Amino acid sequence: MALIQLAIDGLALGAAYALVALGFVLVLNATGAVNFAHGDLVMVGGFIAIALAQVLPLPGIVLLPLVMLAMAALGVVFSWLAYFPLMRRPPAAVYISTIALGIVFQNTANAIFGAAPRAAPALLGDRVFQIGGGVTIGAQSLAIILVAAAAILAQHFLFARTRLGRALRATAEDRDMARAIGIPVTRMIALTFALASALAGAAGLLLAHKYFVEPTRGTDFIMTAYIAVVIGGWGSIEGAVAGALLIAAFQAIVSAYVSYAAATALLYAALLAILFFRPRGLFGERAQRRV
Amino acid sequence: MKKRTLPVGILGAAACLALAFGTRTAQATQVDIPILVPITGFLSLEGNSQRNGAVLALEHAPQGIKAKGEILDTGTSPEIAVNAFEKAVSTETPIAIVAPILGIQMLAMLPLASQYKVPLVTVSGTAKITQMGNPYVFRFFPADNVVKVAQARYAVETLGKKRPALLFQTTAYGQSGEAVLASEFNRLGTPLVFEDSLDTGVKDMLPILLKVREASPDVLVLQLHAGSMALVVKEAASMGLEIPIVAGSAMHQPSTAALLEPDEMKGVCAETSSTPVSSETPAVKKWLAEYRAAFQTDPDAYALGQYDGVAMVLKAVEDGAKTPEDVRAYLSAKSFKGLAMTYKSDGAGNMAHSAEIVCYDGKTRIPKVVKRYENVDAAP
Repeated sequence: MALIQLAIDGLALGAAYALVALGFVLVLNATGAVNFAHGDLVMVGGFIAIALAQVLPLPGIVLLPLVMLAMAALGVVFSWLAYFPLMRRPPAAVYISTIALGIVFQNTANAIFGAAPRAAPALLGDRVFQIGGGVTIGAQSLAIILVAAAAILAQHFLFARTRLGRALRATAEDRDMARAIGIPVTRMIALTFALASALAGAAGLLLAHKYFVEPTRGTDFIMTAYIAVVIGGWGSIEGAVAGALLIAAFQAIVSAYVSYAAATALLYAALLAILFFRPRGLFGERAQRRV
Repeated sequence: MKKRTLPVGILGAAACLALAFGTRTAQATQVDIPILVPITGFLSLEGNSQRNGAVLALEHAPQGIKAKGEILDTGTSPEIAVNAFEKAVSTETPIAIVAPILGIQMLAMLPLASQYKVPLVTVSGTAKITQMGNPYVFRFFPADNVVKVAQARYAVETLGKKRPALLFQTTAYGQSGEAVLASEFNRLGTPLVFEDSLDTGVKDMLPILLKVREASPDVLVLQLHAGSMALVVKEAASMGLEIPIVAGSAMHQPSTAALLEPDEMKGVCAETSSTPVSSETPAVKKWLAEYRAAFQTDPDAYALGQYDGVAMVLKAVEDGAKTPEDVRAYLSAKSFKGLAMTYKSDGAGNMAHSAEIVCYDGKTRIPKVVKRYENVDAAP
């Protein structure tokens, strides 16, 4: 029963990590650049939820779309500050600019909200449901799993079934060709940043209730996203989700049987093994189709 | 002529007196105490407490002393701390410096303090800073060999527990506390039945608490930073871990309690040097009101410790100290009755030797002081 309980908790954690990793991989595919501020965008999402809750004392499920909208707008601004001015420079320029903006986000959050950890409102309350045999699932864990699943499905639908999704995919595949056939590439890239930031905001709200948020928390999130993407396959959406779930499994299940330090070491050993035996990650081949 | 001389003489004397008095009033002693603390980065919560405590102490300077202190952010790296130090001493050597809580930054600053002969007043808990024979460092917060000893003794002697389990952070703070706790539990004849370390990035505390439960301890001892502390206490309440928790000082911080519901903290105790929000002392109550008015937040033990440290420096100036060396000699030799406790150097710069245990009753987020330990310093 303990194993089932751990698996449920791990699934909830992995679902939230998947949202973080999805946003990261979207920008990676659309621009070829690593957005090192993505973890900080998750942190900002958590703080926006906290700020909104002070103005509108409503359940998290009501605040979620507002947070995602605000974060989408921030994502567009972010792209104009950190990406577009440097897109024709060497990739390192974009890396540095995203790191710099991430630090700006951290210090801004620190100045506005203070350094202490804070908790965002629960999505559906704090009730605990008995599943049977002593196994429980909290309303927040359930909400995290459902919201993450909905977001992943919605994203899949967007890219697979809509004209906008096809335009986004074309932009990610070959920017020059996309421009040649009339796709507004700049707008598509800005939209990708908006989508990625909205997902980061959702993850921030979901994580900030159960696991709290503080201005420096973004570093943990970017590490998680980065490792998930490396495990899953650089650029693969399915891989990012699988990688996020694998990280959560190590944190929630493996660590119940060995120490946390050993579980972390085993996770990195698994990462090295994947890089050695499957350098393109678990979903490497399918990563040829980038979004 | 003679008739006019007397009034003129009296007026002249009065004018001279008035001039002398006025000049003395205008020439209040100017004191510079720069505040070098981590305002950004992972220790900014504690750094901001340090800053607030120091700023309030400067505002409360004794009559006749005009105190100022430029605030410089030391971030999280030794390099930034050293740069801040160099800036602070660039024009003239200040009478003392409020130095950061982060141990690695303190270690980087110590040689500079010796070079410039300026006292560092800090609340850093890192044991090593007062073990290097540097006469310019003064710690106004009890070190691990005070508070961790109190924490272990409370679990064993007061609660009567015999099978302690320990969770500690993988950071220097966590490991330093673990060493003292493990040693003290051994000395008390109640060795740890389980211990494990947690990285600050760990979010899901269920796995570790299941392992704790398997070891069948009768008390859970925590040496964690605020975020991890709240997560463990929350999960322990959620899974119904029915053993008392005796936590480290992060648990006494109002910002940590704010993350938890009161019923989740029922039976949770914590060590600390002081708990300003729980104090019944009129002087601390007055200070608490002034702190809240100035900063719109509740103070913790770091804020009060730093306040007392700067207050002792200003007391040294009031008592005649004119140079940084005078202040160093004063801090080394004199005792000072601060708001949190009475401070006196042990010869190595450790000024604080008292600790208290606070417990939450499950109804409010304000803990109550249940026990106080005086002069419990173990061998360093």
